[in-house]
Amino acid sequence: MQPGVITYGGFLGTDKRHYLDIIADDEKKLDTLGKSAEEIADRLEYFQQVSFDSFQSSTVLEDKWDVETEVVRGYIACPFAHQGMYRKSYTTVTNLQSKKSFTFTALHIHLIRAHHFFEGKGSHFRLEPEDLVKELF
Amino acid sequence: MITKVLLDIAIMSAIGVILALLMVIAQRWLSNYGELSININGKRDITVIGGNSLLSSLSEKQIFLPSACGGRGTCGACKCKVDEGGGPVLPTEKPLLSKTELEGNIRLSCQVKVKNNVKIQIPDSIFNIRKYQTEVVEILDYTYDTKGITFKLLDEQTIDFKAGQYVQLESKPYEKVKQKAIRAYSISSKPSLQNRLQLIIRQVPEGICTTWVHKHLKVGDKVSFTGPYGDFFLRDTDADIIFVAGGSGKAPIKSILEHLAETGTSRKMSYFFGARTVKDLYLTEEMQAFEKVFENFEYVPVLSHPEPGDGWTGKTGFVMPFFKDAIRDPQNTEAYLCGSPGMIAAVTKSLKEYGVLEGKIYYDSFG
Repeated sequence: MQPGVITYGGFLGTDKRHYLDIIADDEKKLDTLGKSAEEIADRLEYFQQVSFDSFQSSTVLEDKWDVETEVVRGYIACPFAHQGMYRKSYTTVTNLQSKKSFTFTALHIHLIRAHHFFEGKGSHFRLEPEDLVKELF
Repeated sequence: MITKVLLDIAIMSAIGVILALLMVIAQRWLSNYGELSININGKRDITVIGGNSLLSSLSEKQIFLPSACGGRGTCGACKCKVDEGGGPVLPTEKPLLSKTELEGNIRLSCQVKVKNNVKIQIPDSIFNIRKYQTEVVEILDYTYDTKGITFKLLDEQTIDFKAGQYVQLESKPYEKVKQKAIRAYSISSKPSLQNRLQLIIRQVPEGICTTWVHKHLKVGDKVSFTGPYGDFFLRDTDADIIFVAGGSGKAPIKSILEHLAETGTSRKMSYFFGARTVKDLYLTEEMQAFEKVFENFEYVPVLSHPEPGDGWTGKTGFVMPFFKDAIRDPQNTEAYLCGSPGMIAAVTKSLKEYGVLEGKIYYDSFG
């Protein structure tokens, strides 16, 4: 979780809360939004898969989202010490109506699905559940 | 009352100290496996101090199996065949081993503790892998996020590699990064240099090693790496060649072309380099210069998203449609691909449709 162990900036950002509190707070937020972490992970995986199916090039879905993935060399481990390594793929989904963009990696899909973890506030790849639900569904 | 509380605390502390001492003593005596033997390929025995992982025991003897996670049992890169003495397969290994691998005694060497004499099998090419101490002698900015770093090998060492192979670079602790990181990068220079080696390294968002390279590495710094690794290298045939690369995938192709420029070749070669915009192109003039070196070579940069201000008049879109003019005899064509898995999947599919044999499509995928 800490900076410099798996990623340069770590997974907690400037958030002073314990990661379990971050997870608990995001779970509460998800309850109010009527979506589960699994549903969000499934949605992100859907966008990622569409992008891979179109060989990662820019693809427009349902006239509403532009999806593109960039892959760099190597793999990244889960900070919760799960086995396996996750491809360093950066999928960017842009809502063409609101122009809002979200970038996530294969690891984020796992973190959200398996751990309900969206990272701490201020971290490079923090995903706000509220924004995801609003823009990606 | 207070005296009794203090006495209780003292007794508890004493018990804790005694238990800790017992654990240290037990660790020393029970975990002392002494000197043990690792037999490699039935030909060579090395003596190691027991109790360490097979991976680290081998590396202490300058035998370097690939490893991308530093021995944490998460990457599965350090597999080797353990015929005897490896003990039972651990739960930490099973998720990374297929049924066939389990049946074939393949193990994760980072998870196997050397507690007995061990018999293992590893490819002979592993013996060519060494650890090298180097000094950075040149850093070039190729694009806004890609650098070319040249290392000079110290202590009169030389490295013997095939153009297209890679090394594993060790970053050093910096800022909030307290541990070294080990990452794989393709060699971009020609093998004949022997005591110099260039890597092309692209900045990865939040990457520990690439941030170190891009923000901290300076000319004169001492750096170590192990290598060479990999089976992505030019096959010695007379077949036509199609090279396809994107991003830092240019590195191994550059090494292969520089090698061929030195050894000479009359093979027909076409090199397609895919990039997003003009600012992602680099070494274009150097690659175009090969058109004058080889009798039958063309360099074809293709942009997927040229920007209006780029003034780009070259090819656009995917690289695949342009293969048609490059392939004259599909059965006698080899392809060498380096880049993202999406690009490799798309290019492989296209080449097979053009009739190129799958067995002649060689690739180095980023993920």
